[in-house]
Amino acid sequence: MQYQPSDYLPIIVQLIAAIGFIVATMIATHSLGPKRNTKLKNEVFECGIESVGDARTPISVKYFLVAILFVLFDVEVIFMYPWAVNFIHWVNTSAAVAKEMFLEMLVFMALLLTGFVYVIKKGILHWEK
Amino acid sequence: MLTLTLILFPIIAGLLTLASKGENAKTIASAAAFIELALGAYTYFSFVPDASTQFGLSYDWIHAAGVKFSIGIDGISLILVCLTTLMVPFIIVSTFNSNYTNANNLYALILFMQAALVGVFTAKDGFLFYFFFEAALIPVYFIAAIWGGENKIKVTLKFFIFTMFGSLFMLLALVYLYMKTPGEIHTSDITALYEVGQNLNPSQQGYIFWAFFIAFAIKMPLFPFHTWQPDTYVEAPAPATMLLSGIMLKMGTYGLIRILLPIVPAGVQAWGLTAIILSVIGIVYGSIIAIQQKDMKRLIAYSSFAHVGLMSAGIFSRTLDGLQGSLIQMLAHGINVIGLFFIVEIIQQRTKSRELARLGGITQTTPNLTVYFIIIMLGSVALPLTNGFVGEFLLLKGVYEYNVWIGAVAGITIILGAVYMLRLVQKSMFGITSRITEGFQDLTFSEKAVLFPIAFLVIALGIAPNAFLHITEPAVSQLLTIITK
Amino acid sequence: MNSIIALSLFGIANLFLGFLNNRKILLPATLAFVLVALGLNLADWNQEYLWFNNMLRTNNLSVNFASVILVATFLVVAVSRGFGDDEEHTHPAEYYAIMLFSVVGAIMMVTFENLIMLFVGLEILSVSMYILTGTDKRNLRSNEAALKYFLMGAFATGILLFGIALIYGATGSFNIHGIEALVLTAAGGSAPALLYIGIVMVIIGLLFKVSAAPFHFWTPDVYEGAPAIFTAFMSTVVKTAGFAALFRLLGGAFTGVYGTWIYILYFLTMLTLIIGNITAVYQQSFKRMLAYSSISHAGYLMLTATAKVAHTQSSILFYSLAYSVATISAFAVLMVVAETKESNAEKTNENFDIFNGLAKNNPLLAFVLTVSMLSLAGIPLTAGFWGKFFIFSDAFQRGIVVPLVVAVLMSAVGIYYYFKAIISAYFKEGDVPAIELKPIYKITLIVTTLLTIVLGIAPDLVKSIF
Repeated sequence: MQYQPSDYLPIIVQLIAAIGFIVATMIATHSLGPKRNTKLKNEVFECGIESVGDARTPISVKYFLVAILFVLFDVEVIFMYPWAVNFIHWVNTSAAVAKEMFLEMLVFMALLLTGFVYVIKKGILHWEK
Repeated sequence: MLTLTLILFPIIAGLLTLASKGENAKTIASAAAFIELALGAYTYFSFVPDASTQFGLSYDWIHAAGVKFSIGIDGISLILVCLTTLMVPFIIVSTFNSNYTNANNLYALILFMQAALVGVFTAKDGFLFYFFFEAALIPVYFIAAIWGGENKIKVTLKFFIFTMFGSLFMLLALVYLYMKTPGEIHTSDITALYEVGQNLNPSQQGYIFWAFFIAFAIKMPLFPFHTWQPDTYVEAPAPATMLLSGIMLKMGTYGLIRILLPIVPAGVQAWGLTAIILSVIGIVYGSIIAIQQKDMKRLIAYSSFAHVGLMSAGIFSRTLDGLQGSLIQMLAHGINVIGLFFIVEIIQQRTKSRELARLGGITQTTPNLTVYFIIIMLGSVALPLTNGFVGEFLLLKGVYEYNVWIGAVAGITIILGAVYMLRLVQKSMFGITSRITEGFQDLTFSEKAVLFPIAFLVIALGIAPNAFLHITEPAVSQLLTIITK
Repeated sequence: MNSIIALSLFGIANLFLGFLNNRKILLPATLAFVLVALGLNLADWNQEYLWFNNMLRTNNLSVNFASVILVATFLVVAVSRGFGDDEEHTHPAEYYAIMLFSVVGAIMMVTFENLIMLFVGLEILSVSMYILTGTDKRNLRSNEAALKYFLMGAFATGILLFGIALIYGATGSFNIHGIEALVLTAAGGSAPALLYIGIVMVIIGLLFKVSAAPFHFWTPDVYEGAPAIFTAFMSTVVKTAGFAALFRLLGGAFTGVYGTWIYILYFLTMLTLIIGNITAVYQQSFKRMLAYSSISHAGYLMLTATAKVAHTQSSILFYSLAYSVATISAFAVLMVVAETKESNAEKTNENFDIFNGLAKNNPLLAFVLTVSMLSLAGIPLTAGFWGKFFIFSDAFQRGIVVPLVVAVLMSAVGIYYYFKAIISAYFKEGDVPAIELKPIYKITLIVTTLLTIVLGIAPDLVKSIF
């Protein structure tokens, strides 16, 4: 079935309606609502414990390093799942292909391992230094 | 091989000079320049005066593009090669009395400049011509900008950008013609370019005409492209001024003869009158301004502007006399203007001033200088029996043949030229001795060594112009048959 | 193709060399690595191969481009001086490794046969450059530049990827020869609009990388903020790779619908030339001037890339080589002068006046600077002249007169700002102490300068190969 650009018109209407609603309500609340500025009103929490300091405190860069390394190795390991699923298939059909694929996985692992060694030698996983 | 030697020898000598120090640099540079002069003289005497290109040579330069390194000398080239080889030694010797810092660099740059100039005058390939045409700019820019006067930076940059801007149009025109040459691999051989250019239709020729004309008009310079010239001449040190006015502006007039006339005859037919009118405006305008100048260097700069206008008018008249006259005038003007600038330099060194109002009365202590100054001045005024006369006479005759009225206006140059030149000599040399001209020393040996040969040439060429006229005539006649075909 | 594999391994090797407590070994090792890669690259000469299931193609064109890239890399590494052998906050091993990785990306952009490879190569190159831009960690401008470059670059990559997707949607192929064939048949008039939008988007993505107007806004800030050595790397290697990719697409895959993009590119070429040159005139900072000059050089290269005649590839190659060599020597002079001034506790700003009086005590540096400026300005006797000459010839052959005239006028403008550096070095009063150059630095500078002059006198030495 062929779609004409005009067939997408409802989507645009929907989009305009959605955005229009947001804009309209924001303008409406701003102009209609009463505005009272007192010290207590401007507090983050009106009740409970007094808030201390800024929410945006700097966090040690170590956290980020470990986090990013986790993501890195995690993603690379994920690659092994599809490989493993297919490997059975290769073993069953052609020994030559299986051998090649096995070697290629070894190369991949070796590279991964090299990266890991580098990370350790660089001392990134040492929490205290 | 001889032509190649003429180009390569100054480069090698320049490199040697660059490596040497102090007095050695002087010796090497002047020795090299005189050897080059001897080579030039050898070329002159072994040249057979016919229309052919001699001492030719051709190598592949950019093989895939069909661009060749081909050089050779015909009559038109020879006269300018002679001018270059003849004058550079004197320019070098003329610096001996001044103290330039890092003089070895100065001499090296002068020699590089000489190589590029000889290259321009002998190139037989369009792009090679352009290459040398631009390469000549670099040394003279550095000479002017390193050893120049107060305002040097601004003025020399203006000069460089002006001339470069003009030549970019020439490059466009050359590439355009080159692309039109037949064959899978194009060629930029100058005769092939002639053929391509002549076969273009008149309106295309008109565009090409302007592209080339602007490049050469800026270089010479012609009205109204001259605004860089007086400032540059004044700010540049003496050797650069001599190179610029004596030799380099001939690149422009040479380009008109070698490139513009034969490539676009129909374009010249259509626009020649405009070009001549611009030239004649330049003559009158330059002369009138020269009369009012207070600064000696500026006065000579405007006089040179006026003279070059006459040369260009003669070239665009497309007559045998006009072209012959412009060629001989190129030689004569080169000799005279270098002499004049040298005399200004001498006066400036002794009195620290170039202002006519502050000078005067120099004659009383300097019989030698007076005699040389007057001889060269007379050559510049074009008195019969001096070198200027032959050229100017032929040029005016050529312009008359083209159009009587324009010839008449151009003829004013003789009167005006006499006015400003005599004023120059009278105000600076005669009259009452001023405070700064008291005890003015007469010429030293090295100054005489420059001025004597120049004065000799002024008279010798005036008596025997045929020494060069018979060399250029066959080449010019052949050129005219191409143009008027 | 082995050069890609070798360079990747060398990069890893470099990382581990960093653990040796000997920083001195890194520079010669990296130089050797680049040379080996160059050798492997040249081994593919005169052979036509497809690699990795038709992902990459090596032929003489790709070998030439890769060689120009590797030569530029070699020169940049040679003037890097080990990134200050004893400074604490630098990580030379990592810098060299990232440079080698980015060259892998650059070579992939030259050899790609499949648009996916173009994308991957571009990303490897770009991500490496984002990191290198921000290596001067304590300099706010460097941080700003890295972030700016990253944000803008990510945007451009997104557009490129979207374009690739649209082209795939229209033609059903990622392979550039497959696309070429389909585009040719589609050119009859049956092509879906997707194809044209995709082509324009891919072109925009690449033009961003080569900093053509109006996608150039990141260039001055990034060039100024990044450490000079990486700016040199960026303005040579990245640009060459970008133009190689652009040329392969415009000259190959997209030829069939020439009519759709050619006028856009004419317009952008003129815009790039005008913006680059005119803005460069007003710059006080030498580095910023070089940034704008790199924009204007992108304009000249676009002129020949759009001309698309038989000589185009050799013109691009020659121009890239001439431009790279000159740019690297200019940056090298800037770096060494700025460093000397800094160690004398003088305030430095990398403005033109940093060169004031350079010629007095350092004639060699002044000469090197002069030659490189002359070459960038395209004055005869230097390689830059022939680069411009070949490009103008190409444009003439195609008959694109208006952009050509703009290019000519703009190259006259160019003389003005390039000469500002020469004027500072020779004619302005100032004080630069005599600088002691390391031998390798000196040799590199002499080699680049001689190369510029030799190519300026005899361009055929290289041109006949390309």
